[in-house]
Amino acid sequence: MLDWFWGFVGGLMIGGAAAAYLLFNGRVMGASGIIGELVDRSGWSNWAERLVFLAGLIGVPYVLSLLIGGETHLTGNWLVIVLAGVLVGIGTRLANGCTSGHGVCGISRLSLRGIVATLLYLLAGGLTMVLLRQLIEVI
Amino acid sequence: MRGLGFALLSGGLFGAGLRISGMTDTRRVQGWLDVFGAWDPTLAFVLGGAILPMAVAWRVAARRDLSYLGLALPAAPSRELDRSLILGSILFGMGWALAGLCPGPALASISFGGVGGLVFLLAMLGGMIAAPALRARLDAAAPATSPRSKMDIRALTPTYAVSPQIELSDLPAIKAAGFATVIDNRPDGEIPAHLHTPHMKAAAEALGLAFIANPVIGGALTMENVRLQRQVMAEASGPVFAYCASGNRCSVVWALMNAGQKSTDDLISTPAKYGYNLEPLRGQIEALAAEPGAGKD
Repeated sequence: MLDWFWGFVGGLMIGGAAAAYLLFNGRVMGASGIIGELVDRSGWSNWAERLVFLAGLIGVPYVLSLLIGGETHLTGNWLVIVLAGVLVGIGTRLANGCTSGHGVCGISRLSLRGIVATLLYLLAGGLTMVLLRQLIEVI
Repeated sequence: MRGLGFALLSGGLFGAGLRISGMTDTRRVQGWLDVFGAWDPTLAFVLGGAILPMAVAWRVAARRDLSYLGLALPAAPSRELDRSLILGSILFGMGWALAGLCPGPALASISFGGVGGLVFLLAMLGGMIAAPALRARLDAAAPATSPRSKMDIRALTPTYAVSPQIELSDLPAIKAAGFATVIDNRPDGEIPAHLHTPHMKAAAEALGLAFIANPVIGGALTMENVRLQRQVMAEASGPVFAYCASGNRCSVVWALMNAGQKSTDDLISTPAKYGYNLEPLRGQIEALAAEPGAGKD
């Protein structure tokens, strides 16, 4: 019961953050775009806004981790970590969005691209889990 | 710069929401994707909780011209389902399932995610740096006769054409039309991010086109803009294709760089064939033409 309750509360905070970024800064809150357009240099025209956003995104969970702890339970398999990171990096930039940009911001404005992207990454993620965990038990 | 305070607030609230909802716990994410295993429905509540305030925010934004800070609001979303969106979403879904991290939580958990979290972040940034070149290849591989290529090449001379803003998918047709060099006369600040200089340059160069950014600020063209355009023309190995928002700025730069070499009437009447009105520049063109050494370097 508590899991879904905190999931919902955290979700409201994520949506509230995206709402503030839209209504004050006039921007779509997409984590992969904010960091991705910094590293590929296409978004340097508003670098300060991006860096400040990232400072909040990293700093507040750090403070929370001191108070209530934090554990990612990330796999110890380095090959899986690197492969997953590269796939997430390339995939989100090709698709121009991830869970926050396409999922939260796209679905809520009924964007066709956002809905299609979300369905595709959920489907691909589900199939990957079935294949690698249920069938060959790699992850 | 306006909006830094709200950027910090949004980033912080986003990070807190990711930590509290459980999105930074890879077991929870993998549990949600593991539909045939011990399925964990928590993420449905996270997504639902996040969409509610955002759906309200979009309705508020739709009734406004500018944000509460007076900044521009996002344009209506594209409806184009291109191959980059489809392939990218599938690759992302696979990577998300493999490790249980997506970009937001990967950043939010960096202070407590250990070396593994850091390695994931670095691999992700590497993928993000590599993505524009891959996207350019995907777009270049799309058929040049694609119905969405609505390009309008407006030749002012046999070696210089102007055009309104182009898409990445227009580049193969520009190459096929025999151009050697593309000039972007539009500052990135007024263009959607996926058409910014690094993406266009990578896509153009992948096709063997030279690409030069010579941003002209609307109404504030400089003689440096004119000098650079003339230099690119002189060094080009073939015809040059220049674009801005409408093609007007590309025509103005062309008229000024040819002042004294062609008649002022020609410099005004040629762009006028495509609806560009350079009549207000007549005085400036004649003044340039009268300068000693006009039109020569």
